[in-house]
Amino acid sequence: MAYQLDNRPLDLRERFYFPEVIRGIGTLAGHFLRNLFFSRDANPDILARPRGLGYSDNVTLQYPEEKAPYPPGYRGLHRLVPREDGSPRCVACYMCATACPAQCIYIEAAEVPGDPIEKYPAKFVIDELRCVVCGFCVEACPKDAIRMDTGEHAPPSLERVHQLLDEKALLRGPAVSYLSDPWLRRPAPSIPAEALAAMTASARPYPDASDEYAQTPGFSVKALAAEARERAERAGTP
Amino acid sequence: MAEEKKPEAPAAAVKPAGPPAPPPLKHPGMVTATIDGREVVVRPGTTVIQAALGMGIEIPYYCWHKRLSVAANCRQCLVEMSNAPGGKLMPGCQATLAEGVAVKTDTPKVKDQQRANLEFLLLNHPVDCSICDQAGECKLQDYYLQYDARPSRLDIPKNVKAKRVALGPTVTLDQERCILCTRCVRFMSEVARNPQLGIANRGTHSEITAFPGKPLDDPYAGNVVDICPVGALTSTDFRFSGRVWFMSSARSICTGCSRGCNVSLDYMGESAYRLRPRENEAVNQEWMCDQGRLTYKPYNTDRVLKARLGRGAEGQAAGREAAVTAAAAALTAARGQGGLALLASPVAALEDLLAAFAVASEGLGLKEVYVGGRPDGWQDQFLKRADENPNRKGLELAAQAFGLTVKPFAALLAAAGAGTVKAVWAVGAELPAAPGALASLPTLVVQASNGGPLAAAATVLLPASPVAEADGTFVNFEGRAQRFEAAWHPRGEARPHADLAASLGRALGLKTPWRSNREAWLALSPRLAGALGPDFKWDSLPSAGRRRGFVPLAAGTVDGRLPGQKERLAPEGTEPIERGVAPSGW
Repeated sequence: MAYQLDNRPLDLRERFYFPEVIRGIGTLAGHFLRNLFFSRDANPDILARPRGLGYSDNVTLQYPEEKAPYPPGYRGLHRLVPREDGSPRCVACYMCATACPAQCIYIEAAEVPGDPIEKYPAKFVIDELRCVVCGFCVEACPKDAIRMDTGEHAPPSLERVHQLLDEKALLRGPAVSYLSDPWLRRPAPSIPAEALAAMTASARPYPDASDEYAQTPGFSVKALAAEARERAERAGTP
Repeated sequence: MAEEKKPEAPAAAVKPAGPPAPPPLKHPGMVTATIDGREVVVRPGTTVIQAALGMGIEIPYYCWHKRLSVAANCRQCLVEMSNAPGGKLMPGCQATLAEGVAVKTDTPKVKDQQRANLEFLLLNHPVDCSICDQAGECKLQDYYLQYDARPSRLDIPKNVKAKRVALGPTVTLDQERCILCTRCVRFMSEVARNPQLGIANRGTHSEITAFPGKPLDDPYAGNVVDICPVGALTSTDFRFSGRVWFMSSARSICTGCSRGCNVSLDYMGESAYRLRPRENEAVNQEWMCDQGRLTYKPYNTDRVLKARLGRGAEGQAAGREAAVTAAAAALTAARGQGGLALLASPVAALEDLLAAFAVASEGLGLKEVYVGGRPDGWQDQFLKRADENPNRKGLELAAQAFGLTVKPFAALLAAAGAGTVKAVWAVGAELPAAPGALASLPTLVVQASNGGPLAAAATVLLPASPVAEADGTFVNFEGRAQRFEAAWHPRGEARPHADLAASLGRALGLKTPWRSNREAWLALSPRLAGALGPDFKWDSLPSAGRRRGFVPLAAGTVDGRLPGQKERLAPEGTEPIERGVAPSGW
């Protein structure tokens, strides 16, 4: 934050030099004592922390014990969104693998015998080392089956293979159902009746704004398109 | 009653003037009309859609197909015509051009009709593109984005129909996705001449079905998958195995029979995924049989990828160079003792056979060649030939070029049983019958791309490339030479037969320096003395070494994609005239 400097000539006391040195040492000692004997406020929003007497000025995060929460919309580790019956919402359409600029998604599709859902990922592997965390896979998914809303970054590991997350490792988090889900339209042998009832009961009409925000805030194709449209309208109207 | 008078005819003087005489034809014998303001001169009877296609004007259509009768039931091709009664829109696929008619395909009325028609077609469509195999090559997707691109206004639940109907062994039907264009029904009755499909029920409950208890088992049923403009009919074999936009296409030839149907070999990485018929009016039009569709399987599975020395329990893997040296030594020794024979398979390409025959006649001093190959199969009046070898004619030409006498496989079996043949060099391991006495010969050098009884019995086994991994030529039963191109670089240690024969020749002390099928062709084709006809040009398809964009896949590339690898095949209608085919009757 810029502030105004008062470039006046030094007065007599300042030209004696030592009184100012002692005053500087006093300010320093004040900070030192306050940081030594008082703790800082835990509010992660640094600018909103209370300042002054009784609070430390220290902003250093005591990392392993204290972790800064990621901002909302942080693109963390991927997860495959489950349905209420525990199976993945994914239908192995390869849209994420197509959109992925790092080519880090590997999918093998399989057929559910005698079932209208028909297709599921027999293999779904994401190489987190290769992932560039762009979120295109989330944007591309037509089924809201892959999200990056776990709020975790890729954990460190000593072996490369530990960064290959397969469909079992990826399938976690809260289940989601939408009224437009094709498996709600007809009974399927692979879904138990009570699970189907639970899905239908909890199904939402469509992903709402909060969902989209939770997935990839700050990067929404829809929002970008809306902004572009607004800009064009503003430019178009005299 | 006889006296009763008829009412008198009106006087001739009050005859009405009638319409004015039509103006004289602008181009006598032809029809002159305008489409979107551009004049077009066509033969009488030409439909609007054909004329527009020839002019490069796009009219969307689903049910029309140039090789099927006109149904005009999808209503997507409606256009404005100046002679339409009451100014109504006319179906471009059915309406013929007449003299002086002005056709308009881009007026707001037409555009609105195209959008509204798509809305109707999509009314009960499940829009399950994410699990649909047609996605990426679907005309509903393309036209929706091009002509409609609006959300559905349907606010009641869509029709629910059967999602997975196994119509027959090769075709699976999704009745929800069907737009009832009846292309498949017309194909089965008009081209396959085996009407096994029909439409049952009425209105929005209409659905394509086979007859009760009768499967769709025609040998040409797989073609309905290709002509289905949407994802309703899918191939049971290809279903869910891959997404089409990841795949590249190589111009190839079906190896199922001696017809040599032109096919597109769709591949990803080093695996073939399906064969689609490629248009060639003179050979297969744009159809192929279901048995031919499965001939890509040996390119992927049961491959010989490493050389082997010794048979049975003594067999051990060896480097290809070492195996070639061992083969040359064994063949030289066998030649010295007499009783060496060459067995050639008519599944190998013309270049392979030329190279092998050159080495056999000049390096090994052989005078005859025994012909192996697959046994005969079924035959019909349409495409399938009984001879299931794609290159029998080519083998005869190559043998003629090197003065070799062609002898049947049975003669080799008899000779081996009698002990007059003690060593065999087999180019290609396809056999019409069990190997019999061949399996116990002291020297059996086999170049094989796939496992089998002969490959298992080989004392020296050399890994060979199938059609998908080499550039080459097949000569079909009517003498038509057709080029095919390599899809991917040879897997493992495998090399084309010509390459193996050339290295064998070098090991025998011959000058056989060619390293690719093209070099072998350039060196050896003069021996054919123009037997393939004057129109055959080997370079009409580019060879792998010179092809732009042909890059071996980087290790670990997910899904085998490379940027720019999408489609090497020219779009329909733009392929140059020289297609690497010679006319029959050379």
